[in-house]
Amino acid sequence: MTLDLKALIIQNMQAGVGVSTQQDHLKAVREAVGKARLSLNAGKVDFALLFTTGEFSHPLVLQTIAGIIGPVPLLGASSTTIISSQGPLKHGLVIILFSVTEGVYFNAGLVKDIAAKSTLTAGLELGEKLLYGCKNVRRNLSVIFSNTEAAQSSGLITGLQEKLGKSFPLIGASIPRNVDHQENSLYFNAEILNNASCGILWGGKLNFNLGIEHGWQPLGKPRYVTKATADVVQEIDGQAAVDLYKEYFAKEIPELKRELKRISVFYPLGISISEKKEYLLRSVVAIRNDGSLVFQGEVPQGSAVRLMISSKESCLASARKAAEAAVKNMEGKKIKFALVLDSLSRYTLLGRQATQEIKIVREILGENVPMAGLYTSAEEAPLGFISYSLGKTYFHNNSIAVLTIAN
Amino acid sequence: MLILLIYALTVIPLTLLLIYKVQGLNQSQSQVNSLKKSLDDMDEQAKLIVRTDMELNKLQEELDKKIVGLYALQRLSRIISMTLEEEQIFKRIQPEYLSDLGFEKAFGFLWDDAKKQFILHFCLGYSDDETKEIQLFINNNKERCLNFITSEKTLSSISESNNLITPQQLSDIFKAHAFIVSPLAPQKDNRGLIFVGTKNVEMLVTEGDEELIKILATQLAQALENARLFEKTWRAQQELEKKVTERTRELTVAMEEVKKISARKTNFVSSVSHELRTPLTSVKGYAAILLTGKLGELPKEVRERLEKINRHSDELVHMVNDLLDISRIESGKVTMKTEICNLQEIASKAEDLLSGQLKERKLSLNIEIPPEANLVMADRTQIERVFINLIGNAMKFTPAEGKITIHARKTEKMAEVNVSDTGCGIPEEAQEAIFEEFYRVDNAINQEVKGTGLGLSLVKYIVEAHGGKIWVKSKVGLGSTFSFALPQTS
Repeated sequence: MTLDLKALIIQNMQAGVGVSTQQDHLKAVREAVGKARLSLNAGKVDFALLFTTGEFSHPLVLQTIAGIIGPVPLLGASSTTIISSQGPLKHGLVIILFSVTEGVYFNAGLVKDIAAKSTLTAGLELGEKLLYGCKNVRRNLSVIFSNTEAAQSSGLITGLQEKLGKSFPLIGASIPRNVDHQENSLYFNAEILNNASCGILWGGKLNFNLGIEHGWQPLGKPRYVTKATADVVQEIDGQAAVDLYKEYFAKEIPELKRELKRISVFYPLGISISEKKEYLLRSVVAIRNDGSLVFQGEVPQGSAVRLMISSKESCLASARKAAEAAVKNMEGKKIKFALVLDSLSRYTLLGRQATQEIKIVREILGENVPMAGLYTSAEEAPLGFISYSLGKTYFHNNSIAVLTIAN
Repeated sequence: MLILLIYALTVIPLTLLLIYKVQGLNQSQSQVNSLKKSLDDMDEQAKLIVRTDMELNKLQEELDKKIVGLYALQRLSRIISMTLEEEQIFKRIQPEYLSDLGFEKAFGFLWDDAKKQFILHFCLGYSDDETKEIQLFINNNKERCLNFITSEKTLSSISESNNLITPQQLSDIFKAHAFIVSPLAPQKDNRGLIFVGTKNVEMLVTEGDEELIKILATQLAQALENARLFEKTWRAQQELEKKVTERTRELTVAMEEVKKISARKTNFVSSVSHELRTPLTSVKGYAAILLTGKLGELPKEVRERLEKINRHSDELVHMVNDLLDISRIESGKVTMKTEICNLQEIASKAEDLLSGQLKERKLSLNIEIPPEANLVMADRTQIERVFINLIGNAMKFTPAEGKITIHARKTEKMAEVNVSDTGCGIPEEAQEAIFEEFYRVDNAINQEVKGTGLGLSLVKYIVEAHGGKIWVKSKVGLGSTFSFALPQTS
């Protein structure tokens, strides 16, 4: 009986998380990896996820990690703020080491220089790389990180879905730019990349669940996008798209431009999804002088849209809902790891209560569940609860996505 | 006719139906219009909500920023005030505090008056090369920087250009989109400047931010001032300690010398006393033999002289004995053979010994020793000498019909004995000196009554050799009380 139990423990997938906020980068790396190895409770490391704040984006950091854990696949990204069980960190790194069982498969892939090719091609290329060696196994889930504006186009997701399947659960994060508007980095093995997308595909005996929510509510009457090209909306209800914001805020274009950061965070546009009672959010990222608006993600022509509004309470309530959805149907299964992809807009809106949001998620997941993640500029995930039949992936703004992985 | 009838029957209902339909349409249109109006009204309300919400969000943001900034400032102030080392003060400015204040770059310079240049004390968020450039810029513009410090005004990315330094110039050199520079203690020795900045293009410096950095600069200046004062005090204390050590060493040497001299004196007194005692004994012996008349009848004048020799020899022997006792006690040659002693018995014995003299001088002696103060640990013989000396002393200075009282009381672990008289008293200025060897109070009685000036000194030595103490309280004309305390039995 004891032997059986031991065998079961060995077969379980293990995840160990290590965090450090030390100023000295290499000391921080050693501390975080040391903690992760200790909590991994397994001899071998199969792959690693790494999230850091911008200062840690240095080849030496990756070299030091490889020197400790060996040449295993490593994926991750840097962001202005990362997430750990302790809450949001504006300086530090968090590393998650995975040790998988024989029944679990994974494959990591990377596509570089996306701007030089069509996003669809990039999506197809990444999908092909992820499938390599996993074509004949049951595929469960893929997690993608991108730091290219092209990721906002549906091409990348479409390309991936072409290869992986239309309803294949795809969860992703677009990495925000840092304070001086430079790209944050993407990590793939020993490389630090820009304008790239990388991901991991899991297959085999793996349980997971996802909750994604935004907490914004529609306000005012519905409008229709009468002219749009990808992420640029030229006209709404036959008028210049900017008129919608001019009307609502009683401000002219120069004033709106000055307030753009606030408008982008607090008042995105909500695209009504006809078959669901949900809204996909799109934040305004630029106002053009011709009156057209550039959004964070595509807005299809003909969409019914409404101005959206939220509050701190509503945001915190949505984080609770997302976490609850992520643990739903996980009864009896031990959650090994939780990945949290949280929009930077929410961080801005919540201000000092951003820590509260992570605390809520942690409380629902359980104090002992290893948790890590980062703040994003956009999120890719299916709407609501994932199932194989309904799991079509959408591009989200201002959302919090909680992915739980169990045995 | 039939056709007309059929036509009428067809047209009339159709017309009625049409009228009904039109009415229905009109009603629907009216409802649509009403709904549209409601929707428009709702949209207008939504606009109001959005505008109010935006204003509230702005206020909330500003408030949040201030709270976070104040909290960071409070933590920063606390940690910098916790150190008194100048370099540690700057080292405690960590990136997380800066980040909470909305910045990621910072540096601080202090003016070195001796070197006539600004010295960099901390630098965050810059590479080594960038740091060197900043140092070079500041010292190439030292006059402008000193003038800026004297101006006591902060300079930020939203400041208007002045003749000193333009914000745009600083923004380019210090690689910061938004920044604040604040003078550091412009009126004090440790003047300098601190800079905080950010590359964040969305950061807009407000007057509130400038105020916070100004407070930080004041706190830093205060901490630096405290550190320098501490350094100064510490140095002064070190100097003082050095002097105290030096003086202590000198005093120790002097004390050793005094001890040596004292020992020499004791030895000398002891030797001389010994040497004096032998011839004195002979002198006194021969005088006594002569006075017996066995060697022949003595003329009256000779007898008188011999009696004087005998009396003076007695006094001299007494003095020599006292001196010998003092020197023995002083040199530690005499050990007190302590035992449980009954003070009442000792006092009574002394009274018996002196009863003749008391009667002769018409003095009364009253002894009041309560049982709780009766037993002491002492050398019986020595304490008898104390009583005899103190009673004898009281007798000497108390006129006829006077009173001498011995009263004892228990104090904490000690028995206190007070020998009071109704004598002439001792002037205040002489009260300390009377226990010194050979000291005699300058009064009429002392001029008449002979004494060695050793009695009280011997008493003091004996009492102190028992671990006790002796003191006097006296008022001229009202009498004196000599008190001594001895350890009691446990």
